Amino acid sequence: MNRTRTFKHLRAAGASMAAIGLIIAAVPAQAGGVTAGTLIENTAIASFDDGSGARTINSNTVQVRVDELLDVTLTSLDPGPVAARPGEAVLVFELTNPGNGPEAYRLTANPAVAGNDFDTSVLAIAIDSNGNGTYEPGVDAILPAPQTTAELAPDAGLRIFVIVEVPASVSDGAQSSVELTATAVTGTGAPGTIFAGQGSGGGDAVVGTTTASALARGELVAGVVSVALTKAVALRDPFGGSEAVPGSIATFTITANVTGSGSVAGLVVTDAIPAGTRYVPGSLTLDSAGLSDADDSDAGSASDAGGVRVALGTVSGGTSHAISFAVVIEE
Amino acid sequence: MKGFHLRMLAAVAGALLPLAPLAAQDASPISLVGDVKAVKTITEADGTTRTELVAPAAIVPGDRLVFGTDYANNGAEAVTGFTVTNPLPAAVRLAPDADPALEVSVDGGKSWGRLADLTVPQPDGTTRPATHGDVTHVRWVIASIAPGEKGRLTYPAIIR
Repeated sequence: MNRTRTFKHLRAAGASMAAIGLIIAAVPAQAGGVTAGTLIENTAIASFDDGSGARTINSNTVQVRVDELLDVTLTSLDPGPVAARPGEAVLVFELTNPGNGPEAYRLTANPAVAGNDFDTSVLAIAIDSNGNGTYEPGVDAILPAPQTTAELAPDAGLRIFVIVEVPASVSDGAQSSVELTATAVTGTGAPGTIFAGQGSGGGDAVVGTTTASALARGELVAGVVSVALTKAVALRDPFGGSEAVPGSIATFTITANVTGSGSVAGLVVTDAIPAGTRYVPGSLTLDSAGLSDADDSDAGSASDAGGVRVALGTVSGGTSHAISFAVVIEE
Repeated sequence: MKGFHLRMLAAVAGALLPLAPLAAQDASPISLVGDVKAVKTITEADGTTRTELVAPAAIVPGDRLVFGTDYANNGAEAVTGFTVTNPLPAAVRLAPDADPALEVSVDGGKSWGRLADLTVPQPDGTTRPATHGDVTHVRWVIASIAPGEKGRLTYPAIIR
């Protein structure tokens, strides 16, 4: 009787001890899997009656260490091709460590991709140090060569800026790609390749399904805006013809044609009153709407001395404006 | 009685901590030897695949292991009520191809049953069917082992 009661206590104690053992061995759960270096230990507990009473025994404990999985992902974060003018442009990427151990990655940017209309030159690779998604010179750290990130914890990500220079000679609409490659510093190769003893946590490092190397492309589209001015004249002489004689009225039309991607800002068209002619007051128009001659709040001003001046402001590519004014040929 | 109970608890705690030496006890007629093997998939030259059980090496999350326990009755008498309980290490989960008749627990060993019959409580008070990832313990119960009889118990696991 006494023996049976003791056995039940033992059984209960055994079960609760096993549960406590499980909690002590708790392991951080993460998407990349069990942390590299974790020791997995398995023990079986047997209880039985051997004819002389109840007993409990344990098996030996077997141990397996979890090794480090080397993996990487790299994605372009630009929603589409980046519109760029000659000068600096920034491409944005995201790097993550989907493995189970901390790992650093080497970055290489290649601007000479087959099929480019033009190649940019890579000025720098920088890390988004303050995590705000915008490249801020002086705030975001530029990586010195050979560009290598700090170690990334498992499941952690990093935003990377690739700063390139678009050459001045590009034509509007020309396209260029830049390829960024990220490779795990511990090693890369076919999935399953083992780097013995180089895993974080003391075990091996094993290349995962991503081959521990990833490539992503950033795309640029050159946006070049041009302004062309053309001038036409229509003559009306006092006799109903179109001779240029004293008394003839010459109506000039200046067309400002803006082409390309993007816009020009602060576009001002000026023209002098030709020698031997007089400006016809009130004849200044912009897109057929009259403008006052005085230098006031509207877009235009005109006088014999100052000539014609029309401020068009910001004009986007694909727009044209017509400015017209009349002069009379002097006697 | 209470004092005796506490002493017994202490003795059991000493025996169950991992890697602690087994507490001195009377020779047991049952021997219990554990091992672990890794499941490696080998692709043959002709493209077919086969699996092999090998000593674990380069184990990473997603890999399969098979934990085994060999038991033998080395005594002169039959052993009855033989129950082997195996808590699953936290870093593994029971593999989906485990024997469906295997007796498991999803609540830390408090209750047992076949996985298909067990449920897990949800935070909103409802329950959902238990999955392989919920299993905390596996258990085998053998009514009687004759003298000289031996056997092997295994369960498959996947590294989380």
